[in-house]
Amino acid sequence: MRKAFVDAYIRVWSKKVQSIFLTGDLGYMALEPIKKIMKKHFINAGIAEQNMVSVAAGMAAEGFVPFLYSIAPFITLKNVEQIRNDICFPRLPVTLVGNGGGYGYGIMGSTHHILEDLSIFSSLPHSASYIPAFDEDLLPQLKHIYKRKKLAYLRLGLAKKYSLKLPLYSAIRHIHSGSGITVFVLGPLIHEVLAIKAIDEQLFKELDIWVVSELPFTLPNNALSSIKKCGKVAVIEEHVQIGGLGSQLGEHLLSLSTFPKKYVHLYAKGYPSGKYGSQQFHLNESGLSATEIVQSLKSILI
Amino acid sequence: MKYSRKEIYRDFLTLVYKNNVGHIGSCLSVMDILISLYFSLKKEGEKIILSKGHAAPALYVVLAARGILSKKKLNTFHQNNSDLPVHVPNGLIKNEIPFASGSLGHGLSLACGIAHANKLKHNNKKVYCVMSDGECNEGQVWEAAQYAAQFKLNNLIVFIDVNNLQAFGTTHEVLGKITADKWKAFGWKTYECNGHSIKEIVSSYKKTMNNSSLKPNVILCHTIKGFGLSFFENKLKSHYLPLTEKQYNLGLLEVQKL
Repeated sequence: MRKAFVDAYIRVWSKKVQSIFLTGDLGYMALEPIKKIMKKHFINAGIAEQNMVSVAAGMAAEGFVPFLYSIAPFITLKNVEQIRNDICFPRLPVTLVGNGGGYGYGIMGSTHHILEDLSIFSSLPHSASYIPAFDEDLLPQLKHIYKRKKLAYLRLGLAKKYSLKLPLYSAIRHIHSGSGITVFVLGPLIHEVLAIKAIDEQLFKELDIWVVSELPFTLPNNALSSIKKCGKVAVIEEHVQIGGLGSQLGEHLLSLSTFPKKYVHLYAKGYPSGKYGSQQFHLNESGLSATEIVQSLKSILI
Repeated sequence: MKYSRKEIYRDFLTLVYKNNVGHIGSCLSVMDILISLYFSLKKEGEKIILSKGHAAPALYVVLAARGILSKKKLNTFHQNNSDLPVHVPNGLIKNEIPFASGSLGHGLSLACGIAHANKLKHNNKKVYCVMSDGECNEGQVWEAAQYAAQFKLNNLIVFIDVNNLQAFGTTHEVLGKITADKWKAFGWKTYECNGHSIKEIVSSYKKTMNNSSLKPNVILCHTIKGFGLSFFENKLKSHYLPLTEKQYNLGLLEVQKL
């Protein structure tokens, strides 16, 4: 997704005079086109992420609009206080771009994974998280960030090829119609859900699938109708159980006094075996790979 | 300077006594730096970050003396529904004191961002950051120190209130004293002065004007925690304890001799 991000950034942001791009010494074989275009407005702030966030806040106070880039855990967990005090409190327009959301960095190990980020950003004032599911999402998301002018967190994952006609971008999109289970999927995990078709086509036909690409989000009426009609809900996300899509959807449904008869929440469970591997290995371990998702969905379909 | 230095110290003692608040020692050690900034050095539109945000009461009193903060607003300090909490709030003075401070270590980075932005905009505005020596325990300070040197932010003027005492010991006992050598090693132009002599503070600042290098500037202001109060000077308790009535009355007499 990095290339799609760079292309979209260049289209939306790179030629605006107030744009600043800071990297925490990362972006080799990806950010060079931005660096070339932005010249002095492209800054390698070094391996010093706390400083980078506060520097960006200082620049934003002078009218600049900074984007910050690093591996996702380094731009989120390491500097939460700087984000809250220096960006959120003064409501400054700073965007944090974290590469490798979830288990994206695979065998690189747990220090390079991020499973708690959306929970943190959901609790920060004036914050919004963007979780692109497809490369095509980057352009509308960056346009939205441009209009919103507050803290944004962009969680880049792994883009995969797909064979469906994408509906127009929105925070939550209807991807597939079915009447058995309403399935809400966060960002790039949609590709695991789409892979169900090849494993169990009958099950796939039962799924009413929605992909969520922004938090917080507003549940559209037709998604609510789907929940009432199916009576069964599944939430699937590459994030810990608390504070992500499941928590937010659950609270929203409670506020609407909407109670599905059956509910399953598939989420990142950390490192259950204590072993490490590829992103797909960790998805398998958490029950988030297509084959594992099939089993979980079948269990509530009955 | 319509308001005298003694009057500022007096108003400060009255403010903290009436509101029964601490951090008095930290406020008194930085007071003359703030007076120098607001009465002699800072130009309109230039930004200040008081990174040692627990000295906010000193800042409020200086701003009121300078006419930037109304007396009416100053009287809301430490009350409910106030714009003036014990630590510096967000947006205290629009366009001049933009950021909240109180969690130590952020201020120098924020000042670096402002200074770098001013460079990119090709304006001549200075940026001032006031830090404590204990604050230099924070790793972020040294991230920012490297950043400022690397990006040649010679429009950045840092004042360090070197009072040698932090929250639970001397700087020597905790993580080591702050010295000019440490800053020099990070590529900064350093200056030292008596932090209770406005003349020396202003003189050190003027020397930064002659800094023909591209190095950022740090002025180590040697100060006394609890300055002016015999019962608080160089004492750890001055970081925490409010004034008793007896101490307040004695303090009013003592600051008249400054």
